[in-house]
Amino acid sequence: MAAHSYTDWFDPIENFFDNALLPVHWLATVPARFSVWSELILSDRSDLEVENTRLKQESLIHRGQIQRMADLAAENLRLRLLLNATELLMDSVLVTQVIGVSPSRNSHTLFIDRGTEDNVYIGQPILDAEGLMGQVIEVFKDHSVALLITDSTHAIPVQILRNGMRSIAEGTSDYDRLRLRFVSPTADIREGDQLVSSGLGGRFPVGYPVGSVINIEHKSGASFIEVEITPAAKIDRSKHLLLVFTSEDGGEIGPSK
Amino acid sequence: MKESDVGLALIISILLASVLQLVPVSGYLLVLKPNFLLLVVIGWIIFRPSQWGIGFAAFTGLLADLIFRAPIGVHVLLFSTVGAIPLYLSGWLVYFSLIHRCLFVFILIIFAEFMRNMLLSMWEIPIDYSYIILSALASAIVWPAIDQLLIKFNRKR
Repeated sequence: MAAHSYTDWFDPIENFFDNALLPVHWLATVPARFSVWSELILSDRSDLEVENTRLKQESLIHRGQIQRMADLAAENLRLRLLLNATELLMDSVLVTQVIGVSPSRNSHTLFIDRGTEDNVYIGQPILDAEGLMGQVIEVFKDHSVALLITDSTHAIPVQILRNGMRSIAEGTSDYDRLRLRFVSPTADIREGDQLVSSGLGGRFPVGYPVGSVINIEHKSGASFIEVEITPAAKIDRSKHLLLVFTSEDGGEIGPSK
Repeated sequence: MKESDVGLALIISILLASVLQLVPVSGYLLVLKPNFLLLVVIGWIIFRPSQWGIGFAAFTGLLADLIFRAPIGVHVLLFSTVGAIPLYLSGWLVYFSLIHRCLFVFILIIFAEFMRNMLLSMWEIPIDYSYIILSALASAIVWPAIDQLLIKFNRKR
């Protein structure tokens, strides 16, 4: 145990077993995939038509919103250039699928079906449709391991959307909870406040939803208040995720295919 | 039944336990998920103590370390220690009724979960002792299936 903690002697063995256990992970997700397949097979044609119509309408709405976003992004870019700001972020994404999850309550990790073949790199942010999920911590040829933001060893710089107040959100080993550390009792923070990534540290791109404040506890005599956050992402339910490729010089980088 | 059949049955049981351990679940189901690998180890040690002992428990513990992505050695130590108890008591346990063996497994899993949490706390991983009883209860509920399978397997022999 001490050798594992203080040396990297076991890394090759762990890497070998990560690859060897991939078929076991695949077998373990068969019931979930069967459930999705059977839902598709058993659903009525009329239900599928209704869903298809709804998705087309949603797609149209989102396209309209993207056009508006493009206009705002261009305006943002012009303002940054006026301010001589150097850090311009352009993001591109790659869709990935969850192929396994850690069975331990204490370790919140996921296996995803993209690896070095798709230019995935260590530290790469991962999103679901609702918000930030975590980051890649190990990359193999055709799969990777991602650490979720709810893992107790994970921390992410965040800011409150309402007033820009910065803090750090830490995982708690609970899929539904994050917490803010070292928040002053006089800080302007309220229940319901939305938190987004602040981009500090350069690991996560700025502006992605992280969660919202659900509870603030003032303990008498304590120097800091305790702030609980519920993650925006569906941490333990999302199956399809997005790998974010970021470039700091404004140029686009992205997946190989 | 040949010894190779016993070996094959053991490998299949470990593989099946690994798959069940890795089946993704969410929310409270994660707490209620039994420790299938440990249950299989306990089962083989109770019903085949002369063949499968501490070494087998330690090897399965190593596999559990890799599956759980825990620091190498945590589950080796845990499985070896927990496995030593049924190994020592196996002469009596085979004569226990199913209910008594369930109760034994329930107590053993409580001990195992306490020990696991204590070991993980050395790495400053947050632990929650409130889930231990639920986890042990889930293991005790699943135990009769493993127990009866192993009894049938040994009778065939």
